[in-house]
Amino acid sequence: MIDLESIGKTYTRQTGESVRALDDVSLRIERGEFVAIVGASGSGKSTLMNVLGLLDEPTEGRYRFDAEDVSNLSLAARAGFRNARIGFVFQSFHLLARTSALENVELPLLYSDRADIAGLGERALAAVGLADRMQHTPAELSGGQQQRVAIARALVNEPDLLLADEPTGNLDAAVAAEIMSILQSLNRAGRTIVLVTHDPAMASAARRLVRLAHGRVVSDGPIASGDITLAPTVLEAR
Amino acid sequence: MKTPALIRQAIRSMDRYRLRSAFMMLGSLVGAAALTFVVSLAQGAEAKMLRTVKQVVGDGSVIVAGGGSRMMGGPHAAAGRLTIDDVAAAVQQVPGIEAWDPQAVVRETVRHADSTTEVRVIGGSEHWSRVWGRGVARGESFDRSAIEGSSRVALIGETVAHRIFGAENPIGGDIRIGAVPFRVIGVLEPFGVDMHGMDRDDEIVVPLSTLMRRVTNIDAIGAAKIVVADPRREDTVAASLRQALRARHRLDRDRPDDFSIMTSSQVQGMVSTIERVLWLYVPLVGGIVLIIGGGVAATLMLASVNERTAEIGLRTAIGARPADIRWQFIAETAATVVLGGLGGVVLGLAGVQLVALHLPLDSTVSWAAVAISVLASIVVGFAAGVAPAQRAARLNPVDALR
Ligand SMILES: Nc1ncnc2c1ncn2[C@@H]1O[C@H](COP(=O)(O)OP(=O)(O)OP(=O)(O)O)[C@@H](O)[C@H]1O
Ligand SMILES: [Mg+2]
Repeated sequence: MIDLESIGKTYTRQTGESVRALDDVSLRIERGEFVAIVGASGSGKSTLMNVLGLLDEPTEGRYRFDAEDVSNLSLAARAGFRNARIGFVFQSFHLLARTSALENVELPLLYSDRADIAGLGERALAAVGLADRMQHTPAELSGGQQQRVAIARALVNEPDLLLADEPTGNLDAAVAAEIMSILQSLNRAGRTIVLVTHDPAMASAARRLVRLAHGRVVSDGPIASGDITLAPTVLEAR
Repeated sequence: MKTPALIRQAIRSMDRYRLRSAFMMLGSLVGAAALTFVVSLAQGAEAKMLRTVKQVVGDGSVIVAGGGSRMMGGPHAAAGRLTIDDVAAAVQQVPGIEAWDPQAVVRETVRHADSTTEVRVIGGSEHWSRVWGRGVARGESFDRSAIEGSSRVALIGETVAHRIFGAENPIGGDIRIGAVPFRVIGVLEPFGVDMHGMDRDDEIVVPLSTLMRRVTNIDAIGAAKIVVADPRREDTVAASLRQALRARHRLDRDRPDDFSIMTSSQVQGMVSTIERVLWLYVPLVGGIVLIIGGGVAATLMLASVNERTAEIGLRTAIGARPADIRWQFIAETAATVVLGGLGGVVLGLAGVQLVALHLPLDSTVSWAAVAISVLASIVVGFAAGVAPAQRAARLNPVDALR
């Protein structure tokens, strides 16, 4: 589904100094995979995520999504593509304040030209176990519940790919495990997921591990036991 | 994004940022209120003014008034008095005059049975009705013989009739003006309040000769109205009248007039000057307030964009195109400013109603004023939204979401 070929990303700072955030990254991700991207801080995880999510353009290389070359789409075309095919979950949940969970979840539908949108918001909320919290505002929800609303928002338009950048970074371990098990069950139901984390315990929820260092892929393979240590809470949640 | 969704989002945002929205509305509220209020008042006042001016100084008429302000009677110096004979002699010498009427006005106590009231009493000639364009609604007016015989007959206004006669039929009734008994022979056509705010139905008209000889002891008149046969010759007639009056008052070359003379076109010129001021400067002030309000709204909205980078980044990430973001902020600004403007219109109209209770005005709701205010706030609202929308649409989602 996803085919990155020799992707490079160079940031040029205002001082003129340039930062090589991604360097010759080639990566293929098939439909139904659950990939964790790990690496030290500053290794380029978020940059890779932004490129995958068409939020940012690579400076070199080619990006094909379902055989379509999406490296050079216009801003508006990328927005349309994101809306229809990609769901995002962020570390800080980015929910609109004083707005009900349901309205937050339905936000992507505003920018969609789909006609059959009735009931999608309710369905997505039910899928993350918040059917009874539709009219609650973010202030009335716990952190874990807020992130579940954000996941529902990412799912509402039934995207091909779900991207999550440190989705549990703001949550304590027990709640984080809950979020991870939601992602796992989504993956079991067929959803393709790419998860960025620097927490090995969280990465262990995935089935494939991509390790970045200095903007390069240094290892890539299925998760085998011993690769990462699992936190007891995660084990319990599983 | 589709338009209904856009408007719904704009309203949701106004609700989310209530304080900011309230401040944003303030400018357009005050501006539109001022605009509506003033234009409505101006239009009401103008209509009223034009109507009364037309009635009092119709086309092709000349008003001659005594030098001082002796319209209400009172002591006066010998010099500068205007007498009936002055006007009669002047009119004799000037060709092209159709009719004229001398007038004197005094305030007097009027009595009927137990009721007493104080009203303006106007003395006029048999040409009174024709020259001033006002007749009687009931009963009859007085004629030449009444003037010659100084008859004690009176025409009373509706307000006076109501006040001293109540439900009783005033025609044929007896009244006393000062100490002098009069018989009411007619009720004046209703006029309403004039441009000075005087209730012109609160007055009595009697033969001038009767007023001067029997009621008071004046021999000077306040003013005379002269109707010119050919309105286009109004200025020539006025000039000739002036020469004749100066000659009669034996004024040397270097002495100024001791009377004043004004033609209907001069009066209407004054009215149109007032109109120009009302129509040009006053809406200008309202417009400026509105524009300043727009500036305030734009500034607050820019601040709001800076505060909401995360929201903008999120919306972009989930599929908002730059155009969607741009329209969102334009719609939000415009909706807020226009809502303020609509509030201002309501406030302005309420203000006009309030003022109309106390001032002589004609039309109290000016749809032109409403249209101007609404239109102006729409234009200002959209204009104020452009800069914030532009800034929002240019935000890089990656930076905005960090
Ligand atoms: N807009 C930018 N301008 C300049 N340099 C940038 C920019 N964004 C990221 N970088 C640099 O690119 C490199 C990769 O950053 P990235 O955010 O992808 O790291 P990360 O792996 O997500 O780190 P973390 O775990 O701390 O989130 C870093 O060295 C960072 O300083
Ligand atoms: Mg990161």
